[in-house]
Amino acid sequence: MNTQASNAASPERGSPPSDVARLATCDSFIIGSDDRILVTGATGFVGPRVVGCLLDRGFRNLVCFARPSSDLARIEASSNCRPLGARVEVLKGNLLSREDCEAACKDVAVIFHLAAGTGEKSFPDAFMNSAVTTRNLLDASLHCARLRRFVLVSSFAVYSNRQKSRLLEESCPIEEHPELRGEAYCFAKVRQEQILTEYGRSFGVPYVVVRPGSVYGPGKDGIIGRVGIGAFGIFVHLGGSNTIPLTYVDNCAEAIVLAGLVKGVESEVFNVVDDDLPSSREFLRLYKENVGHFKAVYLPHAASHALCYLWEKYSQWSNGQLPPIFTRRRWYAYWRKTRYSNQKLKARLGWTPKMPTAEGLRQSFQDRGRGRTYA
Amino acid sequence: MLKVAIVGCGKIADAHASHIQRMDGCEIVGVCDRESLMAKQLYERFRVKRYFTDPTELLSQARPHVVHITTPPESHFDIARLCLEHGCHVYVEKPFTLCAEQAQRLVDLAYEKELKLTVGHNDQFSHVARRMRALVETGYLGGPPVHMESYYGYDLGDPRYARSLLGDRGHWVRRLPGKLLHNLISHGIARIAEFLTSDAPHVIAYGFVSPLLKGINESEIVDELRVIICEEERTTAYFTFSSQMRPSIHEFRIYGPKNGLVLDQDHDILIQLRGEKLKSYADKFVPPVLFAKQHLENLIKNARLFLASDFHMDSGMKYLIESFYRSISENAAVPIPYGEILRTARIMDTIFGQLRVGWSQAHWAFPTHPAPPEINERCAAVHSRTILASDS
Repeated sequence: MNTQASNAASPERGSPPSDVARLATCDSFIIGSDDRILVTGATGFVGPRVVGCLLDRGFRNLVCFARPSSDLARIEASSNCRPLGARVEVLKGNLLSREDCEAACKDVAVIFHLAAGTGEKSFPDAFMNSAVTTRNLLDASLHCARLRRFVLVSSFAVYSNRQKSRLLEESCPIEEHPELRGEAYCFAKVRQEQILTEYGRSFGVPYVVVRPGSVYGPGKDGIIGRVGIGAFGIFVHLGGSNTIPLTYVDNCAEAIVLAGLVKGVESEVFNVVDDDLPSSREFLRLYKENVGHFKAVYLPHAASHALCYLWEKYSQWSNGQLPPIFTRRRWYAYWRKTRYSNQKLKARLGWTPKMPTAEGLRQSFQDRGRGRTYA
Repeated sequence: MLKVAIVGCGKIADAHASHIQRMDGCEIVGVCDRESLMAKQLYERFRVKRYFTDPTELLSQARPHVVHITTPPESHFDIARLCLEHGCHVYVEKPFTLCAEQAQRLVDLAYEKELKLTVGHNDQFSHVARRMRALVETGYLGGPPVHMESYYGYDLGDPRYARSLLGDRGHWVRRLPGKLLHNLISHGIARIAEFLTSDAPHVIAYGFVSPLLKGINESEIVDELRVIICEEERTTAYFTFSSQMRPSIHEFRIYGPKNGLVLDQDHDILIQLRGEKLKSYADKFVPPVLFAKQHLENLIKNARLFLASDFHMDSGMKYLIESFYRSISENAAVPIPYGEILRTARIMDTIFGQLRVGWSQAHWAFPTHPAPPEINERCAAVHSRTILASDS
C-alpha cells in the first residue's frame, strides 16, 4: 500500500474554517471534525464529491482509498479546496488485500464504502470487487474500536420492484434470487448488502445503507438503461412515460455524507432520488436537444415485457445460446412504471437536493457537448 | 455418472460450470476456491452439491473423477499434481503450466497413474476449427504444411482499461515468466504446434511494449510479439500477437503444397484457397464468385448451428470437455495429444527466454546495426539451453 499524499503541512486554499467547523461539530452528528473518515472508491464518479462535501462541512481528517491505477485528478481537485488545517491522505491499495484494508481502517470513525465492481457481464468479477472487498473491509473494521458507522453505498438495482404499489420505497423487497436476473451488478450488490447486514447482526457493526437511483452529472456519459438501449445502431426507447430516478452527483454525495454523520439512523436504508424527476420521454427529448439528435424507436411497455419473456424462454430452451440478459425480473427492475420517494431521506437526514433537476440536467448535457449521440 | 469438480471460482469457472451442466452423464460434485465467498457464489448460482476452500478436502470428501483447474496459472502445476496423486483426471485451463518442465512432469505423472490430462485450448475445437481439421485430414493441403500464420489479437481497449489491468504492480500476470503474453498466446501457438512434428522447433521471437502502454508508463509488459517458427527447414510458421493491430483478429492460415485454408475464428468462417490458377482473365473474375459462394456457405452453416442451439459463443470448450470425458469413459485417446501440449509449452519457453535476453529487440530494432557479438552469443546460449532442456 502506498500513501500518496498528505496535505497537513502544505499551504491550504479555500474558505476559512469558522463556518464549516461549526457544521462539523453540529450536535446532530456522531463524530467531530477531527475524527478520521475513510472514503473508498474516492476516485470514482461520486467519491470525489463525497470528499468535497466532507471538507465543506469542516471535517479535517480524511483518508481516500484508491486503486494503484486510479487517476487522482478528481480527488486532487476536491481536496484543493480544503479548509484550513484539513488533511486529505490518499492510500493506494487493493480492497482484495486484507492488509490494505487493515491499513485503511486504522483509527477511522466512519467508513464511506463507495468502491464496487461494475462487472457488467462477469458475475465473479462483479462479486469479487463488491462482496469480497466489502467483507474484507468489514473484517478490518472489526479491529477498529473507534468505528461509529459503516456507510455502504448500494444501488436501486437491488430492488425486485414487484411490490403491488407503484411506489418504490426503502421497505420494498430486494431481489430474492439475484442470480436469475441475468445482471452481475444486481447479484453483487444484493450479496454485498447481505454481508453487511450479517456483520451488523453478528458483530454489531453500526451501519447505514444508501441506495442511490441513477447518478448523473458532468463527467458521466451515455444514457442510462432505464431510458433505453442502443442496438445495431438504433436507440430503442424503453422508458416511455416512466419516471427516471435521477440524482445529481452533488445531491447524492450530500445524502451519502449525511447518512454517515446524522445520529440515530443505525441499520437504516435510504433511497436517494432528487425532486421534480423527468419522465424517460422528457429526458430523451432534452438529451437530443442539448447533446445531439439520433434515431430512437419507442417500444411500448407491453412489447418490451413480451420481448423480455421471449428472450428469457429462448435463453433457457437453448441452454444459454443467448445469455439471459433480458429477463422479466430485469424488466420489472428497470422498465416497470414506478414512482419514487425521497421522504425518508428528507425526514430523517434533513437532506434537500441543492441542485434542481432542470439545472442539473442542463449542466450535465452541456458537459457532454453538442453533436454527440447516445453511444 | 462422471463426478466433476472445479478448483478456482473466477470468471472462466462460470464457462466451465455452464458447459458441464449442459452435458449428460456428468455432475458437478464440488467447487473450491481459497476465498470462501467466491466458492460459495459459484455453488449458489450453479446449484452445486458442496463448496470447499481447500483442494485436498474437495478431493477427499467430494471424490471427483475429473477436476477442472481454473485458478491463475501460477498454481496450475501444484493443483494438477495434487489431483493426479488423488487419482483424478485433470483438465487444466490455459496456459497449461509456467514452463515446459512442469508440463513434462505432469504428463509423466499422468502416464504413471494411468490418468488423463488436457489443456483448455478450446479455440481448436470450435465448429470452424473442426471443419478445418477435417479438411486437412482428407489431404486437402496436398501434403504436410509448408507454412502457417497464426494471428492472436487482444484488445486492451482504451487506456483506462489498460491502466486497471496493468496498473497493479502486484497483479499475478506480472509474476508469470512471460507476463501478459504468458496468459494469452497459448491459443495461437497451439494452433501451430498441432501441425508440427518435432519436439522443439527453432524459434526466433521479437517483442516490444506498445506505444499505448508506454504512454501509461508501462515498460515491463510486452504486448506486441512477432515470432518465426521453423521445423527442420520443412515447415515454417509466423505467429503474431498484437494489442494494437486493428481489426483485432484471431486467424489461422495454413498452406500446403497444393492448397491452403484460412480460418477466421472471430466470424466462424473457413475459406479454402485453391492452389490452381485459372487461365487469363478467368482468374480475375471466377475466384471472387467462388469466394462469395464460400462465404454464403459459411453463413448457412452458422445459421443452421444457431437454429439447432449449437452455436454458443465458446462452443469449442463444450466440445473439448465432451471429448475429454469420452476419452476417460471409453479409455480412448485424449483430444489434445500430450506431444502437442509439450511442444506448445517449449515454444512458449523459448519465446519468453529470448524476450528476457533482449537480443531480439536489439537486433530487430536497429537492423542496420547488427547486434554486438556478445549479445548474439548470449542469445545462442539461451536458445541452445532451452532446446537442450526441452530435449531432455
